[in-house]
Amino acid sequence: MVSLELLGTPILQHIILAYTALIASIALGIPLAILALYSRSLQRVVMVMANLMQAIPTFAVVAFVVPLIGIGFWPAIIAILLRALLPIIKNTWVGLSSLDPALIASAEGIGLSQWEIIRYVRLPNAYPAIFAGVKFAAILANSVAILTAIIGSGGLGTLIFEGLAGVNMIKMMSGALPAIGIALFLDTSFGWLERRMVPPGMK
Amino acid sequence: MIDDIQTVWIRYNLTERTIEHLQIFTIALLLAIAIGVATGLFLYRRRRYSPPVFSTLNAVQTFPDIALLILLIPLAGIGTVPTIIACVLYSILPIARNTYTGLISVSPELLEVGRAMGLVEGDILMKIRFPLAFPMIAGGIRIAIVFTMGIVTLGGIFGAGGLGAPLQTGINLIRPDIIFVAGIWVGLLAVILDGIAGGIEAELKRRFGSW
Repeated sequence: MVSLELLGTPILQHIILAYTALIASIALGIPLAILALYSRSLQRVVMVMANLMQAIPTFAVVAFVVPLIGIGFWPAIIAILLRALLPIIKNTWVGLSSLDPALIASAEGIGLSQWEIIRYVRLPNAYPAIFAGVKFAAILANSVAILTAIIGSGGLGTLIFEGLAGVNMIKMMSGALPAIGIALFLDTSFGWLERRMVPPGMK
Repeated sequence: MIDDIQTVWIRYNLTERTIEHLQIFTIALLLAIAIGVATGLFLYRRRRYSPPVFSTLNAVQTFPDIALLILLIPLAGIGTVPTIIACVLYSILPIARNTYTGLISVSPELLEVGRAMGLVEGDILMKIRFPLAFPMIAGGIRIAIVFTMGIVTLGGIFGAGGLGAPLQTGINLIRPDIIFVAGIWVGLLAVILDGIAGGIEAELKRRFGSW
């Protein structure tokens, strides 16, 4: 039997792991997407990479991290980051670039600077797309954070893999069920956040 | 270098592993397409069921893949069968959703033309709605291909064989050579399959999407 105290640490580790990687992906991904708006070559590289990387199985990405970076917490963060970054960059870029050109023209017309156009016109209009990307990335991060236990990240995956090795169904479930709970919580809370963040004019 | 690759390839039976991998992949994808398109069609006919079915499938989609494989152990054990079930459970949503959207979002003028020519509802479905939905359905299948490839690889941890098995061996033994050979190979396979699916999707879009 797995007692509640024994479950607390893996859950906490899991959340720290997934969220550190997610926050890092947002912090890297959104600026990169904004930069890609102003450089065609960066845009091409980023989009081609994003499309290719998305097709590669997660397990292969996690495995590559071992010889390239090593095992443990930080290599696991890198593995999750590599997965979560792409949907954020892709969605942010699509949201920022698929804007009605007339809106940009009128923003320029009333004398807004490039920065102000990004801040007050492009970003708010891209919120729904960015949110969809972040939500997808959060769910992905939650999922990859289990797998990274195989490279020594700790967290709920450790319970699952120990349970698998010892054919201990209760241990496996005590890793799997909280992870599913977190996934469902993420899904609902992001849905709620999305409804609150989208400017009223766009609904 | 070539020798090293060859040694790893032969030592870890990568030819057999690849065949195994593609077999599981093909079965899972065909099942997912059949069930996904059928679900999309069913929901198109019985639209009031679509909100609950889609929100259930959406919830399943958020489950971490490993957690889903664990949940399947009491029902299906470990190995190939639960891996295929997990692939199908994840892949139904993109295929069913795209089929459904493709079928309902045909422009009313075309349906009007169909009726004016005397087509009955069944003909309108098969001769107008379905062909126009092809590009959307293909887009859903392409997403399913990426999911399926990922989960089949993961199945290696759960005794399903395939290319995930040598990857796990490589991680457990911390052997960069195995990880690189098996990892690059499975990555390449995934990118090629995704590329082929992308090509088919573009071709269908060109042929059926220009209306």
